[in-house]
This record gives sequence, C-alpha cells and structure tokens, in this order.
Amino acid sequence: MQRLPNFRTVFALFTAIILVLAGLGLSVWFERAYEVRRIHEIDAQARILAETSTAALTFNDRKAGEEYVRALAANPEIETAAIYDSKGLLFAGFSRVAEQGPPAQLTIGKAASSQAGVTVTAPVRQDNSLLGTAYIEVFPDPVSRRIARYGFLALILILAALLVAVLAAGQAELRRANLELEKRAKELALAIVRLENEIQIREKTEEALRQAQKMEAVGQLTGGVAHDFNNLLQVITGNLDILRQRTQDGQIGRLVNGALRGAERASALTQRLLAFSRRQPLEPRPLDVNKLVAGMSDMLRRTLGETIEVETVLSGGLWVAFADANQLENALLNLAVNARDAMPEGGKLTIETGNAYLDEDYAASQQEVEPGQYVSVAVSDTGTGMSKETLARVFEPFFTTKDAGRGSGLGLSQVFGFMRQSDGHVTIYSELGGGTTVRLYLPRSTGGEAGIEVVPETSTADGAANEVVLVVEDDADVRANTAMMVQELGYGVVEAPDGEAALRALERQPSVRLLFTDVGLPGGLDGRQLADKARQLRPDLPVLFTSGYARNAIVHHGRLDPGIEMIGKPFTFAALGAKLRKILDEHPQPISD
Amino acid sequence: MRSLAASYLAARTVTTPVRAQAESSLERAIKATYLWKFAPFVAWPGGAFRSPDAPLVICVLGDNALANLLQQSVASERVDSHPIHVRDLAAVSRDTDCRILFDAGSSAQSIADALAMVRGQPVLTVTDNQEYGGPKGIINFVIENNHVRFEINDAAAAVNGLTISSKLLSLAIVVTPRTESASETRSA
Repeated sequence: MQRLPNFRTVFALFTAIILVLAGLGLSVWFERAYEVRRIHEIDAQARILAETSTAALTFNDRKAGEEYVRALAANPEIETAAIYDSKGLLFAGFSRVAEQGPPAQLTIGKAASSQAGVTVTAPVRQDNSLLGTAYIEVFPDPVSRRIARYGFLALILILAALLVAVLAAGQAELRRANLELEKRAKELALAIVRLENEIQIREKTEEALRQAQKMEAVGQLTGGVAHDFNNLLQVITGNLDILRQRTQDGQIGRLVNGALRGAERASALTQRLLAFSRRQPLEPRPLDVNKLVAGMSDMLRRTLGETIEVETVLSGGLWVAFADANQLENALLNLAVNARDAMPEGGKLTIETGNAYLDEDYAASQQEVEPGQYVSVAVSDTGTGMSKETLARVFEPFFTTKDAGRGSGLGLSQVFGFMRQSDGHVTIYSELGGGTTVRLYLPRSTGGEAGIEVVPETSTADGAANEVVLVVEDDADVRANTAMMVQELGYGVVEAPDGEAALRALERQPSVRLLFTDVGLPGGLDGRQLADKARQLRPDLPVLFTSGYARNAIVHHGRLDPGIEMIGKPFTFAALGAKLRKILDEHPQPISD
Repeated sequence: MRSLAASYLAARTVTTPVRAQAESSLERAIKATYLWKFAPFVAWPGGAFRSPDAPLVICVLGDNALANLLQQSVASERVDSHPIHVRDLAAVSRDTDCRILFDAGSSAQSIADALAMVRGQPVLTVTDNQEYGGPKGIINFVIENNHVRFEINDAAAAVNGLTISSKLLSLAIVVTPRTESASETRSA
C-alpha cells in the first residue's frame, strides 16, 4: 500500500537535494575562483616576463628575449610564452605544442579565458611608451585534474547525502516500527479488556456453579435425611393407622388421631424437603388451573383468616397446563401463607391466571427456561414487600425472614424446586412497602383432556385374601409395617427383603397378583430390575413402586414413566388401599389362572 | 662563447681603424637611439640631477652627425620625467653637466683624455672603440651578427658612482664586473 511520504522523509530528501545542489554550487564557485586565481597567476607571470624583457626589446636582443621566454618553460602549465614588439610581431617565444608555435602576430587585447586554455598578455612598457607585449598561454585544465580536485569534495558530499538518506531511512523505519508497536499495544489492550470480560463472565459462572453445587449439596443432604425420615414416618404412620383401625375406644382413637396428625405434618415437612431436593416424584397431567384455583379459594379463605381479602382473577380462554395438581396446590398454599405473613395488619391477596408466552430473548437471559407457551398463575399481596438483599436469597432453603419457629424457610424453595421439576418458571417482583407478586409459569399442555384425577382415598379394607401382594422392602421394620397394612386391607401378603428373594418367592407363589416393591433395593437388583425380571416370569404382573428416594431409574425428569404405578413414602393406610385396589382392578386376574 | 666573440672582435679591431668606415647610417641611427635608451637602465647618484625634471644632458664629443641624429630622435622623449638635451662638444671638462657622454675623440681631446677627464664624475661614458686595448667607456658598442651590441665595464661605472641595471648588464656581451678580482680595468 503506497503511502504519501511523510514530512520527515520529504525533509530528508529535501536536505539531500540541498546538499547536492550546495555541493554543485560550491564546485562551480570554487571552479570560478580557481580560474580567476589561475588567471591572476599567469597574469603575474606575464607581467614579470614583460618587466624582464624591457631591455631585450629596447636593444632588440632576441637571444636575451628567447632566454627570458624559455625560463617560463619551467612552469609545466604554460603551453606558449612569447614576446611581441611594439608592432605586434613575434620577437621571441616558445610553444610546447610544437607544430603550432606562438601566433606570429598579436592583436593587443585583454586576457581571455577560453576552452582551449587561458591566454594572458601584459604590455612591456618603459616610461609610458609601449615597447611590446608579453604573451602567455596555459593549458586548459585537464578533466582528470578537475575531477581530482572535486572528487574529494564530491566523495564527501555523496557520503553526507548517503548519511542523510540512511538516517532518513532509519527514521522512517523507526516511525514504522513505532506505528506497528502502537497498533500491537492497542490490540493488546483490547485483548486484555476482552480477557478481563471473560474472566468476569467466568467468575460469574463459577459463582453460579458454586451456588448450584451448594444447592445440590444441601439438596442431597436434605434428600438423604428426608429419605430416612420417610422410612421412620412410614413405620409410625402405618402403625398408628392400624391402631386406629383396631380400636373402638373413642379416647384412644382421638389420641391416635392426634398422633397421626403430627405424623402427617412431619410427613408434609419431609415432602417439602424432598421437593426442594427434587426427589419427590411428580405426577403431572393436563390441568385446568382455573378449576384448581377456584377449588382452592374456600380453603385459602379458611387458612388465611378474616383479615386477608382473597380475590381470584381467572382469565377466560386459559390454556390447559401440564403439571402435578397436588404440588401446584401446595405451592399456591405456600405462597398464600407467605403473603399472609407479609400482611400482619391484613390486606389483600390476589390470584390471577393468564396465558403467557416467554420468548427467546427472555429465555436466553434466564437459566433453564425454554421459550414457549405457558400458563401463568400470579399470587400478589399488599404486604411489606422484600428488600433487594432478601429477594436475592428468597429461594434458598432454610432462608427465612420469619422468627425462629414460625417458618421453616422451606416454602419458597419448595416452590422453586417444584417449578424447576415441572419445566416451569418462577418470577418474583417485590418492593419494600409495595407488596410482592410471585408468578408461576406452568408449561402449556400439548394434548389430553383436562381433568383432575384424584384418587379417592378409602378406608375400607377391600382386598381379597386370594389377591396376594408380594411386598419387597429391605428395611425390616418398614417391611413388617407395610405387610401388616396390606393384610389389614384384606390382601394376602408375601414378604421378601431383596430382589433375589422376591424372584424366588414369585416362582414359589403363583398366586402373587401384584408386586409391591421399594425402588431402592440392596443386592445388585434394584426395584426396576426386579420388576423387569418378574415380568419375564409373569408378563402380566402389575407393579407398584414405592420410594422416599426418588433418584432412580423409574423416574425420569421427575415424572413417572408411563404405565408405572407409584406411591410415595410415607403412604397412609387409605392411600395404599386405594392404590392397590385401583391397580388390581385395572389388571384383572387372567381367567386361565 | 663571449670570449670567442671578443677575440673575434679583437681580431677585427686590429685590422680596422678606430672607427669603422663602413658604418651604415642605420647602425649609426641605432647607436644614437641606444645612447638615450641606456638611460632608464642607469642609476645616477643622488645629486646628479638638480630636480626630477632637470634635463638629462647627452653630450656627443667629436661626432656631429651622431649629435644631429640624436637631436632628432630625442625631440619629444623623456627619461623618467627628465627631458633630454643633446650637446655637441669638442671637449669635455671635469665639472661638465653631461650625464651621458659619447666619446668619439676630437682634435681637441682624445678619447682617453676625455674619459680621464670625467673619471669619478657621474657620467655614463659610451665609446664605439673596437681597437683592442683601446680606451673604452663604461659602455662600448660592439657589432655582433649584424646587430649592435655592447660591452659594459661595471667597475668603471662604479668608479663614476653609477649603478647599471642587471637587465642591461645581462644584455651586454661582455661585462666587467665591479669586483676587483675579475678582469682588469683598463682605461685609456
């Protein structure tokens, strides 16, 4: 790319040209001065010749004249020297250029300098009378001598010009290198900025990761604890259930009911923990949210008390949502309770439903949100609102602004877990002194009729003894308790502590009608694998899974695989009865049995 | 070379009388011219001229024709701002005002007597005497190769208090130098 020469280069070039011109000028000046000096010297010699030859001319002594003229031959520069008389005729002379000789006649004139050389004349005078003329002609300066004279100067000039050129080139090079350096420095600065940005992003990501890991760890912890709790609660609830069944005594019954309620509350707590740790299996189905909210409004009014006004705004044309109805109820209940706590002086709670569309830009700015159609349920209160610091931590488990003993801090984290597991989204908007709105986004159902399928709970023992249930559970107490419950319900029961035993029992007991197994089993054969193997033996065998610990193979993304039945621990007597009945009714005994 | 010429001249002068009879008019004219042309090359002592434009007196002793010739040629000439006067004499006295004396000898005064008379005076004596050993003035004419030349006796010039320019001396075919060691000074 050709660039215009910059100032420095032009200046250097200019200087070089000036130098050369100055050199030339000097040379010409020197040459002229030299010429003048030469002429002066020759002129002096001519005048000397004239002076010395006065006598010779006066007395017409040619020999003497010749001698005087010859004396000038000592000067190698002199080509011709001659004396002319007053008439301009040659008196005496010599010439180095042999064939020419001095001119025979002379026209008196001034000294002339010609290309052929320098010719100088001087008059021979004696007392104001002109006796004659002295004449000297010198060789022209040979070119070699001129060159030699100026060669040195020229050499110096050329060197100087070269130096200037080199310096200029050096300068240009330097400038270019500087520009390059600047460019690199700028690039470097940009790169540094980019790097800093990346570091920042990475730090944020790491922070988010750490946060997620923290949540995960807590989740694992709580999940583990909840699982164990669940098993214990199963025992407690189961036994209490049976106790209540067996007693006729009203007082004992009330006591047992009290104990059961306590156990239920404990169970609810563990449910929440499990929900947070996402270990609670969901059973999502097509859901009419308007119907659900409408159905809840009475319960909400009772729960929240008279000081809180409850208003529901149900949008027409609401899409069918796809979510677990029970968990949605729980979530709304949680939010309502939080709202009540934020309105100690009373206030208004509003639940509003509507269709919503989350677009790509929004999804990109959030984590784990797919763009698409959603059904939104917004719970708003006119309460105290939350500060920015509180908002930032509001979904954390065990984070609560309520006094100790008044709140477990699990409510919102449960909601958060539920929504995540449901492929939904939660937003909170709150301002101090301005109330809070929590909005749940439930994914729109892609098909299926809306209907809240509620499995009615029965407390009747409607099993038949020939309907044998194979109970597989590794915890002895839980197994015993479960077996007892099954028996109380009227079914026959066979117990097995692990998968292998269960298969053997299955082989030995052809009357087993249903496999009721815990998902987590020891011995290398878990519940799912057992079910598969059992079905190889008995293809039509229905399976009911139970688990307090949802991380297992039958639950994918928190939902049951289709065709699999499940009951969560701890289960009540009635819930178990209903489930067993339902499954057995759906899988009638083959006639050929 | 010069001594050869001198000896040749001497040989000539032996056989010829005091003054060459065959002297041509041109030769005479040249000699006459030379008489005053010598002047610029001679330096007289301080008091020789009363003033810078005092006349330069050239005396001719014993040769009227030469005197006339001389008179004609110096009419408008000057030597160093001195006008030239010509005198035609038969004899010269000691306190003469001649500055240049052409001594040809007369019946009244011989060449030698005239020379002796002005010896020590600021007078440039010129003779035309080819006689070997004969009386010669400070300058003596000689004919060489058909040219009028002269010999100069610088010692005699020194006696008369005159200084002769080296330019003139170098033209002379014979020079008797001032220093005593050189050739003899012979005066007639």
